[in-house]
Order: sequence, then C-alpha cells, then structure tokens
Amino acid sequence: MCVCVCPRAGLPSPVRPICDPRVLDRFIMEARDTETALRGCKAGCGVTGTFVVPLTNVDFVVWETKDTEEQALEVQSGMSLFGQALGAVRESVSRVAVQILIDNNKSNIHSLGQVLRSLHIQDLPLPPAPAVGDLVTRKVSSLSELLHVHTNFLRGKVRLLLTNAPACQQNST
Amino acid sequence: MTNDNLNKLLVFCVLFCAQKTSIVHGAQALETKVALLLHAEPENPKCFAEGMSDLTCFWEEDEERTGSADQYSFIYTYQNENSSECSITALPAAGGKRLYFCRLSQTQLFVPLDIRVFRDDLLIHNRSLFIELVFLLDPPANLTLTSTGTQGQLKASWLPPSLKYMGDSMMYEVSYAMAGSHIGKVEEVQASSELILRGLQSGTKYKVRIRVKLDGISYSGYWSAWTDPVLMETMPGDLDPLIVSLSLIISLVLTLLSLLVLMSHRRFLLKKIWPIIPTPESKFQGLFKVYGGDFQEWLGHSTGGLWLRPAYFYSEEFPAPLEVLSEVSLGPALPSSALPPKASEALGEEDEDEKLKRVDSALEGWRETPQEHWPMDQLRAIHQHPAPWTQSSLLESHDAYVTLNAQNHSGEELLDDILEETLPLQVLFASGRTSSESRSDLGSFQQSSGLGRLSSQSSFEYPNHTWPPKGPGYTYMAVADSGVSMDYSPMSSSKIDDIGKGVIYTNEYKNEIPAHRRPIGTPIPFAF
Repeated sequence: MCVCVCPRAGLPSPVRPICDPRVLDRFIMEARDTETALRGCKAGCGVTGTFVVPLTNVDFVVWETKDTEEQALEVQSGMSLFGQALGAVRESVSRVAVQILIDNNKSNIHSLGQVLRSLHIQDLPLPPAPAVGDLVTRKVSSLSELLHVHTNFLRGKVRLLLTNAPACQQNST
Repeated sequence: MTNDNLNKLLVFCVLFCAQKTSIVHGAQALETKVALLLHAEPENPKCFAEGMSDLTCFWEEDEERTGSADQYSFIYTYQNENSSECSITALPAAGGKRLYFCRLSQTQLFVPLDIRVFRDDLLIHNRSLFIELVFLLDPPANLTLTSTGTQGQLKASWLPPSLKYMGDSMMYEVSYAMAGSHIGKVEEVQASSELILRGLQSGTKYKVRIRVKLDGISYSGYWSAWTDPVLMETMPGDLDPLIVSLSLIISLVLTLLSLLVLMSHRRFLLKKIWPIIPTPESKFQGLFKVYGGDFQEWLGHSTGGLWLRPAYFYSEEFPAPLEVLSEVSLGPALPSSALPPKASEALGEEDEDEKLKRVDSALEGWRETPQEHWPMDQLRAIHQHPAPWTQSSLLESHDAYVTLNAQNHSGEELLDDILEETLPLQVLFASGRTSSESRSDLGSFQQSSGLGRLSSQSSFEYPNHTWPPKGPGYTYMAVADSGVSMDYSPMSSSKIDDIGKGVIYTNEYKNEIPAHRRPIGTPIPFAF
C-alpha cells in the first residue's frame, strides 16, 4: 500500500492522522514475507558486503522514559538506515523476483515516512552516520539478517511510536 | 499511643491479608499457566511473558534426576549484549517431579534472546526466543452477559488484560453452549471487549466463557486459560411471525376446503338435518290445491282416473291373493253351519238399505257360529261325503267364489318366492247376479297374474254349477261375505283334515285399506 500526499503549490494541505494500526501491520507482514521468501536464497541471493542497521531491542521501562521526539528520532534514523541498505541490495541482486520484493519493502519504508508526517512527526535532521561500535546500530553481513532486523524494527520501535503518537491519542479520546 | 499502635496493627493485617490473598491467587494462576505450557510448548525451558517487562522460564525434572536448585544455572543473552544469569527456584510437582523456575523482571523485546541451562556445568537446555512472541496473558476479567432486548441474542462483555500498547493486538475466543450441553460454538473477535451472540434459542440458559491471545502480528503467544463460565437465560420466545403466518394460511385453506365440501353436499346434508316431510300431493293431483283436501269431492271428480289408475290400490303392499269359495251347502242343510241365506241374499241385487238390513240380520246369525270354522265344517262334510260338485248344493248359492291355483306358464319367469301378499288382488266380488249374465262382476280372468304363478276362476264361469274339482293339495279359501265385511279362511281340498297340521300360508286379510295407510278423513274406497 502506498500512502501518497500531493502537496499543493505554496501551502501544504493538512493530512488526516493515520492512526489505524492495520496500516503498519501490513508493512510488518510484507517485511516478514520477504524475510521468509529470501531466507533460503542460495549464496545470499548474490548479495555481499555489510550493512549498518539500527538496534531493535526495546526496554519498555527505558522506552517510556523517552519523549515522543526522541522516540521519533530513533525511528526515523533507523528507517533511514534500512532505506540505504535496501537500496544497496537492490543494485546487487540480479533475479527479478528478488528485485520485486526489495522494491516493495522500499516503497513501504517511504509510505511509513508519510504516515509519520501525518502524525505531525516532523522530519528531524538525521544524526551523522553512525560509527562503528555505536550503541544504536550494528552491522549485518547477509540479506536474510538484514530483512530480519528490518522486521523486528517495524514490530517494535516503529509500532510503539505510532501506537502512542499524540495525534492518535487525541483521536481516541 | 495505643490507638496509633492499633491502627498500625490493623493496617499491617489488612495488607498482609491482601498480600496473602494475592499470593494465593497468584500461585493458583501460576499453577494454571504452568499446566498450560507443559501441554502447549514442546521446547525447554518453557518461557512466557505476562506483562511488558517480565519473563518466566521453567523446566521439569524427573524424580530420579532432581537435585537442589544450586545445581542448575540459567544463562540468558540478548543480541549484541553480554550474558546474564538468572536465579533459579525449585518447586515440587505432581508425581514426585520438580519444577525449576527463572523469572526476569526486566526484559527487551523485539530482539533475540538466547537461553542456556546448565546442571552441574552440563548444558541441558538451549533455546533462542523473542519475548514479545511468548505472551501468556491472564484470562479476561469481569465476563458479563446481558440481554440485548432481541430474542435469541446475548451480549457478552469483559475487561481486557491491562497491557499497555497491546490493546489493539488482542484477540478473543468466546465459547458458548446451552447449559448442560457439551456441544457448543466458538466465535473469535479482535481488538474488542464485547460480542453479541446471535442465533440462540429463546428461553434457554446458556453457558459462556472466554479466553485471550495476542494476534501474532507484532506480539504473539499462547491462549490464556478459560474464564469461569457465566450462565444466563435468553429471552422467552414469542410466536415466530413465520409460524403464525403459516398457521393462518393453513387454517384458511382448511376452512375453504370445508366450505367447499359442505356446498357440494348441501342437498344431502339438508335432507339429513331437515328431512322433507313427504306429502301425498303427488299421488292425489289437485286434491289439496283444487279441492282443499276434500277427498270425497276429489273422488267424485277423479273417479275415472281411479279406474284408469289401478296402481292407486296398490300401495306399498299388495293384497294377498286369495281364493274365494262360495257358501257351501253340503247335502242336507246344516242349519248350524249354513250360510245365512240372508247373507247370500245380501249379495243379490237389492237396494242398499235392504242389503244393510239383511247384513245386520246376517251378522247376528253369523256371530252365532264361529266364522273360522263354518266353511271348514262344510267342506269337511263334503270331503267325508264326497259328491260331485256339480250335484252338490254347493253351488246353490249365488255367492261368488274364485279359485286361484298356481300355474306354470311356459316362457314366463318363475318366481319361487312369491308370497300371497305380493300378488295383486285382482279378484272382484260379484253381488250374486245370475249366471245368465255373461258378464261377471268378478271380472273373471283366466290368465295368470302378472307374476305367472297363480290363476283364478270365478263361479260365474260355471253357470251350471259345474265347478270343476281341483287336484289334491289345492288350497282354497272360504269367504264369508256379510255385506259389511268379508272373512276369509284358508283351506285345502285334500287336506281339510290337516288344516291345522298342514302348512297353509294365511294372511289376515280384510278388504279394507289399513288404517295407517288410509288418508285421514277420507272414506274407504271399494271396488265392486
């Protein structure tokens, strides 16, 4: 699913907050299906090299101590890292079926950004590229692990952010 | 001071009791969950999360392998992190087994967790899991059944487990069945705290229970234990509109069919319920309409019709055939048995008044002798002293006599069971006219009756008193005519002595129309 918002010239049109959890749930399921489909890919589907990915672990006690902005920054930086990694994978694979799956996941990442904007979560300046040993990132060396981390990131931090977004809390009350 | 101490003591007791209650309740819940996982999870250690930041793992050891908790070590490692160790608690289990528990109070989700269990530095269990995928929640609380106001429905509502961030990820399974029945239905509902059960029977008690599980997209786990069943009776059922309408239609159809049958048999029913009173009007045309019921007048105007309608005389029963014998004078007159000459003279052509007088006198003499035996005596005398009939004084009288004998006419149908009553009386009596007259009032006829069995002869056919003798077994009937009434006595020529012994079919015949068949108020017609 692709959520497209076409801003008019001059003034941005107000976007209704997308609070339906089923939107993100579909992104999560498609990421899981991609992970399952490419798990048995021989020789990593021809993908080589390492990829920097965000950490996916969530300690609720610690998470709740963070404010929405900090949570949003963590989510947006992570989504950015995944976008870069999937782009590099798309260029290295030759099989059309694999390319289609990778393109779908990239599209979902882009749509997820639109959902965050609908929740009034502004695009924040991304932190500089994480260095090796950063506590917020780690490296993976295979396509299957990359996709696995991607799924966990969506199920965890992204979902927590969207579920507890202030814009959605106002709608439910 | 004392009051403060008492207050403190009271608060301590309340807290202790509450904690004890919760501990007891918690223990029971733990025992239930352990039993569930022992059945549902094949891997060891078996782990489950009850909330957002806890994890409980346990394994079971047989009696022979059991040891102290110190012998075991539980090592867990999150991805990209250092390993940590969890303290182990041992609890007794059924069958002499033991359960060893490890409980983490701070966890990380959405990241792989590696678990290793050692017993005396020997790795006995190794498992990697995601904590957000092993949730085992408590059953929903406050399950309540209410009526929706609609027949065949119940509304089930409950409180979901109080887990933050997971309300929209919970799915529920509602099981309902009639009370006392083991066969029920199950319905699933997601991200909701109520469900309307439809299609239930009216006026029936239902048993409902519910359990919860995470939907498996972001979070997953095991089905919780069932809640305690809640019972409620559905609304009593009203008449189903479909049943009511079908009943009305069927009633209408049956009513129409009944009316149809009644209308098609209305004449029959009218005859049965209101039978038509028969009137003789059809037999007496003009009697009521023209003559106002005056039968004599009607007779006077329709005499010819009577003669032309001999069937008039033949009502339901036909008079019995008979043989009329004249008065018999056996040689020397038998004064005691002689037919009163006056009676015979009454048959002559005399005025009616004189006839009546003679009849009266004849009747007087008549009554002196038993009427039923007079002709028999006469004939008995004849039999004893047989004399030609032609010479006997039998024929001295001018009385008429008629004989009827059975004849078989060829070509005609024989009727074996002819009774005398069924034969028409076709004998008319003469009034003692002389034999010179060629015409006999008797209306002699030689031919047999229409039934072909009987013939008749009149005395006037034998003007010379040559009454031919009849064969043996021939049945005669003596007739005594007093001018007012005629009496008949059956007899047989050959069996005169055996009249009392023989079988002679006799009928009490009176030449008059029976009273019950006689129209009321009408004179009795006679034909001469």
